[in-house]
Amino acid sequence: MTTAVSRVGAVAAPARRVGKLHREGLAAYLFLSPALLFFCVFLILPFLFAIVLAFSDWGGFDLSTLKWAGFSNFGDVLSFDGTFVKPILVNTLLFAFGSVFLATFGSVLVAYCIDRLSFQGFWRVLYFLPVVATVVAIGNVWKMMYQPAGLINAVLNKLGVNSVGFLSDSSYALPSVTVVHAWASIGGAVLILTAGLKAIPEMYYEAAEVDGANSWHMFWSITLPLLRPALLFVLITQFIGGLQSFALIIVMTGDGGPVNATNVAAFEMYQRAFKFGAWGTASAMAMVLFVIILAITLLQLWIARRRGEETS
Amino acid sequence: MRISKGLRLAVVAGLLATGAACGGGSDSGGGGGKVELTLLSHYSDGPSKDGLDKMIAEWNKDNPKIQVKAQVVKFDDLLTTMTVRQTGGRGADIVSAYGLWGGQLMKANVVAKVPDDIATKIKAEYSPAALGAVTTGDTLLGYPTELNTYVLFYNKKILAAAGVTKPPATWAELADAAKKTVKRDAKGNIQVEGLSLIQDGDNKSVHPFLSLLDSAGGKFLGPDGTAQFDNEQGKAALKFEGDLAAAKASNTSISPTKQFRSGGVAMAIQAGWWIGSLKTQMKDKYSDVGVTAIPGPTAGSKGSLAYGFFMGVNQRSKHADEAWKFLTWLNEHKTQDGKVTETGKWLADQGLIPPRTADQAEYKKSLPDPNLAPIYDAATYAMPEPNQPGAYEAKTALHNAIMTVLADGKNPDDALAQAAKAVKPQ
Repeated sequence: MTTAVSRVGAVAAPARRVGKLHREGLAAYLFLSPALLFFCVFLILPFLFAIVLAFSDWGGFDLSTLKWAGFSNFGDVLSFDGTFVKPILVNTLLFAFGSVFLATFGSVLVAYCIDRLSFQGFWRVLYFLPVVATVVAIGNVWKMMYQPAGLINAVLNKLGVNSVGFLSDSSYALPSVTVVHAWASIGGAVLILTAGLKAIPEMYYEAAEVDGANSWHMFWSITLPLLRPALLFVLITQFIGGLQSFALIIVMTGDGGPVNATNVAAFEMYQRAFKFGAWGTASAMAMVLFVIILAITLLQLWIARRRGEETS
Repeated sequence: MRISKGLRLAVVAGLLATGAACGGGSDSGGGGGKVELTLLSHYSDGPSKDGLDKMIAEWNKDNPKIQVKAQVVKFDDLLTTMTVRQTGGRGADIVSAYGLWGGQLMKANVVAKVPDDIATKIKAEYSPAALGAVTTGDTLLGYPTELNTYVLFYNKKILAAAGVTKPPATWAELADAAKKTVKRDAKGNIQVEGLSLIQDGDNKSVHPFLSLLDSAGGKFLGPDGTAQFDNEQGKAALKFEGDLAAAKASNTSISPTKQFRSGGVAMAIQAGWWIGSLKTQMKDKYSDVGVTAIPGPTAGSKGSLAYGFFMGVNQRSKHADEAWKFLTWLNEHKTQDGKVTETGKWLADQGLIPPRTADQAEYKKSLPDPNLAPIYDAATYAMPEPNQPGAYEAKTALHNAIMTVLADGKNPDDALAQAAKAVKPQ
């Protein structure tokens, strides 16, 4: 009897566990469903729609006017006769690489310095302010500073340098906007890097000090290697942000000018879709940009993994 | 299994949401047989808003069953607003749009066909320039509203001080006057610009160029949307602009709308609507402003560009008949003295050319300002701005080509060839 009961119990216990797991799974999916629905409606469906549009000719508004266009949109977009590959894609990459380099370098420097200062909270808030401010406000303030009669040119004039057309000269326009984007991104990166710095055990520095290492050696051999996970996060997010940047360009240059000098992929997509009603070309551009972002992100992750970083 | 069910549910819900978003037009029907029409326009401030609001209020008072509600945005936001709202199924019943957008709005089934009887009347009663600016192919897009032509504005005092006694009548005289009037300080900064060819934005660089192109006998786009500017006339017009920029008589960093009023610009190729702004901004000094036709390469030749706006009915409107009824009233009812239409007066009061021929003729009899005469005259010879699908894109390509010449000193022939390559007929 006992044996029989115990045998029944042995079978019943896993069944109860399965039932419990089943209920827990159901509850989990129920909790997940609003987020899943949100992703489907606002991410998956538009993404699938964009794929369809990339192979179509569509002027917007009315789905009955949608026509199959095959790969012609990709042909137009990737043609070297057009403007997308050069200068737009080149601008996009220069803008992203430039802003990532400046922002990462700047944020490491700032975070490292702040970590050694008093009133750290105050400094972090100060550097975080641009992140809180809207892009429109930042863009407009810098736009005014860049004007021929603006603050920066006034300083240059005082130093005996002639005024520079920061936003009106096609040679200076893209670097000028890149600097602003990098400056505005430093605050967020500083916050993440500071958390990374705080996570580095103090004993490493103490041991290095005992061994006679100077500040530079400590930074190069302890701080930087142990900061790599945080740096990787900063690099990836900054890079994606840089490649998708749009608002700052439109605020500071209006039309991606002068002469397409500041025109980047996201802005061109907006123009094609909302200005010219060429949704097919705009979607093909979005697909090309998506592939580029995916490839660069995977490359970054691959490099990080080769160096033994935990990235999952 | 549960996952796939959840996903299916999500997809169905998403499709329903998307379907709802892409559904029909705004349901503006009210209770008790009352219809509410929405009118989206860029008449967002000043006399343009006041005038339109007044007419709408008058209509609403007399037509309690068809009430019209104005929705306004700034011009820069008009196309985007139209696009987003239309895609979201919330398009206005009546849209006021820039003629240049007409082709793409027509291609995307936004603008409804004008009923035949109304189209016949419009074609008979409006000026060719106004009709040309709001007709794509053979299709009329709606009632022409604003009509603007381009002319040469000049500061009489600056020209006289430079020894230029009469307004330029050829390109050579125009270039000569520009070079004589330009003034720079010791550091080379421009104090007075000779001739403004305007810089930022498509309109501000392309419209002056197209006016010069017209004066040389050239064309922007062919009826099929192909580029027509990459030829002898186009190259001559852009070379003319490029030479002035190279001689520093024209500078892309000068904004005429800001600096003309204070004597910072001697001459500018600009649209007629500028008259109203200059009068307000310059007050007594407005008497220094002269207006003449944009000269061509040879004596007697002249050119201009005409662009227009139109009011059409949304193809998705559930109350198209009522919308056309209102638009017909809006454009045809006359002022109390019966001489001109109320819309014609509303436009003329803003310094714009009334597009209706009879209104134009009435105003031309006694123009309150001699500077308006060349602007009205230009409506008889100006090249209407093309507006087929792809025209906006072509205009942007041309803008970039012009800017490479004016700002970067690129060869005009190469710049035009590149722009022509970017023009893709649709």
